[in-house]
Amino acid sequence: MRTLWSYARNNIERTALIVAVLVILMAILGGFLAPFDPLKIDFRAKLQPPSAEHWLGTDGSGRDVLSRLLVGAQMTLTSTAIVLAVVVAFGVAVGVLSAFVGGAIDNLLMRLADVWLGFPPLILALGFASALGASLEAAIWALIVSWWPNYARLTRMVTVDILSRKFIASADALGVSTGAKIFRYVLPNAFDVLIVQVTLDISAIMLAISGLSFIGVGAQIPLPEWGAMIADGRSYVANGWWIVLAPGLMIFITAFAFNIIGDMLRRELDPTSRRR
Amino acid sequence: MAAPLLTLHNITVALRETGRRMVTGVGFTVHAGEVFGLVGESGSGKTLLTRTVFGLQDDTHLVDGTVTFNDKTLPREGYASAARKLLGGQIGFVPQDPFSSLNPTMRVGTQITEALYLAKGMPMNAPATRQAAIQVLAEVGIPEPELAFRQFPDQFSGGMRQRIVFAIALAQDPKLLIADEPTTALDAITQRRVIELMLDRCRNRGMAVILISHNLELLRQSVDRLAVLYGGQLHNVAPASSIGHETSHPYTEALFDCIPGKDKTLADIRAIRGEPVGAGFGLKGCAFAARCRYAEERCRTADLPLNDNSSTGFTACVLGRGAPA
Amino acid sequence: MSSNPLVQLQGVAKSFGRRLLVQNRSFALKDINLTVNRGEVVGILGESGSGKSTVANIITRLTSYDEGRYLYDGHDVAGYLKSESFGFKSRVQIVFQDPYGSLNPRATVAASIAEGIRLHQPQMSKAERDQRVAQLLEEVGLPADCGSRYPHEFSGGQRQRIAIARALAVGPELLVCDEPLSSLDVSIQAQVLELFVKLIRERHLTIIFISHDVNVVRLICDRVYVMHEGRIVEEGKATDVLSHPQNAYTARLLAAVY
Repeated sequence: MRTLWSYARNNIERTALIVAVLVILMAILGGFLAPFDPLKIDFRAKLQPPSAEHWLGTDGSGRDVLSRLLVGAQMTLTSTAIVLAVVVAFGVAVGVLSAFVGGAIDNLLMRLADVWLGFPPLILALGFASALGASLEAAIWALIVSWWPNYARLTRMVTVDILSRKFIASADALGVSTGAKIFRYVLPNAFDVLIVQVTLDISAIMLAISGLSFIGVGAQIPLPEWGAMIADGRSYVANGWWIVLAPGLMIFITAFAFNIIGDMLRRELDPTSRRR
Repeated sequence: MAAPLLTLHNITVALRETGRRMVTGVGFTVHAGEVFGLVGESGSGKTLLTRTVFGLQDDTHLVDGTVTFNDKTLPREGYASAARKLLGGQIGFVPQDPFSSLNPTMRVGTQITEALYLAKGMPMNAPATRQAAIQVLAEVGIPEPELAFRQFPDQFSGGMRQRIVFAIALAQDPKLLIADEPTTALDAITQRRVIELMLDRCRNRGMAVILISHNLELLRQSVDRLAVLYGGQLHNVAPASSIGHETSHPYTEALFDCIPGKDKTLADIRAIRGEPVGAGFGLKGCAFAARCRYAEERCRTADLPLNDNSSTGFTACVLGRGAPA
Repeated sequence: MSSNPLVQLQGVAKSFGRRLLVQNRSFALKDINLTVNRGEVVGILGESGSGKSTVANIITRLTSYDEGRYLYDGHDVAGYLKSESFGFKSRVQIVFQDPYGSLNPRATVAASIAEGIRLHQPQMSKAERDQRVAQLLEEVGLPADCGSRYPHEFSGGQRQRIAIARALAVGPELLVCDEPLSSLDVSIQAQVLELFVKLIRERHLTIIFISHDVNVVRLICDRVYVMHEGRIVEEGKATDVLSHPQNAYTARLLAAVY
């Protein structure tokens, strides 16, 4: 943690780090902190602007926006984390395998990844939505399926580069096993590149999930996923601007913060800029 | 004796961003037609010094000292652009890496005729210009120069490319040629050929040369006088013939003693202990004190003497070792 | 000295397919006949592209060969069982040219040095291993307690010493050194050269020293092989070959060196 803070060179980056921490805390504690039940409908309290009782107002069905935002944080970020976890685990495994095995299999796997990347996530999402029914799960599956080739290709490229370095030849000369090579030689040296990509992908995937929910093939209304919240609040923009503004702003700020952090990591971890 | 062609006096180079002084108190002269060597290990500051003095380094600037070329002292304000104006005309530059210093998308002939245009105003498409270009290609030993004129750099080997870079510099007929480690990337046989060619052509034209290298032996056999840099400080200016014979500066002596050579046995080699100190040394005293076999306490605190260019030789030793009797 | 040569390459050749092109030339190793006796320091002298590194890789079994025979200590390596191949790795080790690439940036110095010990002497306890590592560090001229640091905290010369310590950790009888001094500063080259001299004397190592630097080869090698474009063009006692070369290429090379 201390290292991350020391990487920040200006106030924008420090703010981004703080925002990221806050958002993650929101995601973890959201449910407990929410003052109201995010799904409880109360038509008497509908469309109230921000006030002392409802800090961010209420929406068209009388639900407390702040509570929805907090629980929504949990949904949006947890889905993002799930997608990333699966995509990274699978993509990295394929990439490492491809690089180690080489030859025809390497070729085949990478061409497969190339082709796969051609599928637009949206079409896949629509496909999953019609198969599983439009839901957050469908959106998660769609993104997992369309995103893994990115990590496969990246990992394969990084692994090939690492394997060409002389300390790998030294390991071979000593008789280090393939497993040890992967886990102690390759992956620790690939970490820097991967962590940058993961950080940048946090915002990309978050935007994708909210986007899919917004157009109706992801989380369905009344779930407080941020994209769905925006979709829900669309009809009230004129007289209930806070309904759309809150989740919209959260998406923007979160995506922006992780982007800044990703750029910062790339700058700090880039071996060409590091002093010898 | 005629005034020197180039005079550096008390030059200090610092980083623009932090003001850190990288090279301090360097002074030497180069005379017309002289072959002058600049030797230093990597990190000694020799490239930083040269590139800053000739206006090629963006992130450093001169904070002290004067540079005089051809009787004109360069101004401190706008130094870099004034220095760069001399390049491509009166001063030629052969950089280290022949692979990246040639434009891969431009024919070799065009790169030379462009140099001729910039230096002498010769129109690029005129037959006379083309002839001059082919002539200089022949002069640097490129076989079939008319064919080479039309070819692209990637069709040539490393040694040939270095000759082409040299040709571009030669074409401009400079008074002074700077060659910064021109043969480091080449194999031994090619290296010898390129160095000997360069020095031969330059001597023919009465051109002065500054040859920069980390290879003391190469310089010892090739140049008239040489300057020795270590830790961003100038330690020695001496005739090449004196290296390894007469007593010289402790670092020059130590450097010569640790290099394997044709007539040396293992017993003749004495390694210098400790790690090299880089430019931007920052501390008081002599940069070499930590590794010098003669060092005393004084060496870490006293200021290193500066070269006032009053004679052709110079030794900077706090203890006065190697100074002419 | 045993009469059995340690290394014997007989008619070894290697051709590179389309995949490995060096500077637009694909080249082959042809007709390599090379012998190294126990206790000798044998030099392989050549420019880049001469194939000398490929010979080093063949001898250390990091790469294969297409023709010929390779006998190590009298046994054909082609007939090695898995266990013999593994045992080979504790008998022959390599030190590379680049001190910056030859150590795992993400492993501590001690871990890198101990790697070989863990593999080839698994019966050693952690305490014994740590002690070995400290001894090796001292042997190569580094402070015994620097093992917990990472490679980037060391200079080029120091990293090269660490690489040597790592190679020595398994107790090899043959050390192949592929241009071990070439990437080092001039004043550091002499230091590491002195280390090699000390190690040869104290450990009775057999060394194959690959270099393009005639002067260094002249200093420490008993015999030398001169390579040019994938072939051996001359061989013999270092003092003979390097002062009275018989081959035209060798003569040109010697005349060119400063």
